[in-house]
Amino acid sequence: MIELSGITKTFNSGLSNQFTAVADVTLTVNPRQITVFKGPSGSGKTSLLTMIGCMARPTSGRIFLHDIAAAVPFQQEGADSLEITSLPERFLNEIRRSTFGFVFQQFNLIKGISVLENVMLPAYPTGEGRTDFRGRAEGLLEQFNIARHAGQRVELLSGGELQRVAIARALINNPAIIIADEPTAHLDSKLSQEFMEIVGRLKGEGKSVLIASHDPIVYDSPLIDTLVEMRDGAVIASRSCR
Amino acid sequence: MILQPAALALVLIALLVSGLGIYAGYYGVRILKRWDPASGSEGQLELERRTYLISTIMNYVLGFELMSLFLFIYTADDLHTLFTGAMCAAGTLAVNSFGYPALLLKIVNFLLAGVWLIVNHVDNRGYDYPLIKVKYELLNVVAPLLLLEAVLLVAYFAGIKPDIITSCCGSLFSHEGGGFSGDLAALPHRPMQIAFFSGMALTAVSGVWFYLKGRGGYFFSSFAFATFLIAIASVLSFICLYFYELPTHHCPFCLLQAGYGYVGYVLYATLSGGAVAGLGVGVLMPFRQVGSLVRIIPVTQRRLASVTLVCYLLFTVIVVWKMIFSALRLG
Repeated sequence: MIELSGITKTFNSGLSNQFTAVADVTLTVNPRQITVFKGPSGSGKTSLLTMIGCMARPTSGRIFLHDIAAAVPFQQEGADSLEITSLPERFLNEIRRSTFGFVFQQFNLIKGISVLENVMLPAYPTGEGRTDFRGRAEGLLEQFNIARHAGQRVELLSGGELQRVAIARALINNPAIIIADEPTAHLDSKLSQEFMEIVGRLKGEGKSVLIASHDPIVYDSPLIDTLVEMRDGAVIASRSCR
Repeated sequence: MILQPAALALVLIALLVSGLGIYAGYYGVRILKRWDPASGSEGQLELERRTYLISTIMNYVLGFELMSLFLFIYTADDLHTLFTGAMCAAGTLAVNSFGYPALLLKIVNFLLAGVWLIVNHVDNRGYDYPLIKVKYELLNVVAPLLLLEAVLLVAYFAGIKPDIITSCCGSLFSHEGGGFSGDLAALPHRPMQIAFFSGMALTAVSGVWFYLKGRGGYFFSSFAFATFLIAIASVLSFICLYFYELPTHHCPFCLLQAGYGYVGYVLYATLSGGAVAGLGVGVLMPFRQVGSLVRIIPVTQRRLASVTLVCYLLFTVIVVWKMIFSALRLG
């Protein structure tokens, strides 16, 4: 479970162009569910997911990760929650690698290297044996039906294939939580539906999935469990879809 | 004022160290007053981020402070040719009333800086700022002393004039010389040898015991520090006599010269390094049960104990080697 308490993110604080992207958000995200953050551009969805995913720190407020102790190697034994906003960067690296998988709007795959190498990239810093994570990467490509492209450079793939490579890369370290930021922005309706089917499968495997989107195919999907509506940095509604 | 590159470097280091120490101390006071890990307020998060900056700055600054002790004694030794009567650093430090206080304060600050760096290292390895208050309380003790050191150093170097006639080490560290240095030099060598080797033996036994069993950290730390003091007194009382092969020359500074293979630097580095590591073991003892440090502190303490044992062993081996092979025999 992810617990957000009074999260505020202000850019250029104290300057004339000060901008509050997220304003005092208090929220609980349930585990092993699909939670969609819906709202127009500039509503604070991406900023919020960035802070949950330990890629940015809030200006104020706290974020707690509950029941993910197994994924955090430095956490003391017996502790069932971890406050992440106060952690030094090197601890955040550990959490990002072990706990979160990211799917970005632009996919952010590395051009010039193969599909397989792209999928394996996040596993290199973990210190795990290359043979082990290579096998896992090949398994993921198989699972997403893109194994035939393993040796190809990513720039030769179609949009849907790129999407699936990005998802495979997000899963390489077996994270408990998948964060996807506008994942269907560059996909047609059929591929967007396909993406939601994959997300449904991930949920079935026990993953928590957090998606920021203003695509109706995503937020109207029968697969989602919770819909959080945001505007001007604030949560204006949060409802269960079950 | 003497415009010698090393002297200028020392003054600059002292000003830099004390200035940044005061900056860090200012935030230390804020942290001690306002630190509230349960709060997610903007002020608390700002303090948390500020601690990374201060920790990084002070790591470098106090690292310079550690090195500057040896630069200071090197400079004092190097400058002795400028003063009539000076034969080594002892004479240079005696050219005005700020030299020896500056040296003593640098030694004290060396130990405190070393301990602070150990505490900071351990605190940074815990994810929940486990020693934050201890760290900044200690910093608030160290910062004024760093400032005082800078004042003394500036006063010392500003007060140096090349035409000063100073004392030589033979008179400063002689039995008849009086004063604290004379008293140390006059300590009888046989009881001091017993105290020195007993101190080293007790430190070694308690260190090995602590390394193997993880118990007796306070004893080990106390023995290590007491042995540091005894060893300094022993250098003046009998150790240096074996190096000089003269029964009346007790100067602790001539050991720093080329004629003695710069052995003084090795002796003082091993002694001070061992003392800092030994003190670090004791300082960390009360925090062994802190949740996020339960696995970190015992490992760190064992490493520190190893450092002390290796440093003191090296010091003792050099001393024993010289006692055996020196032409001097003390009755």
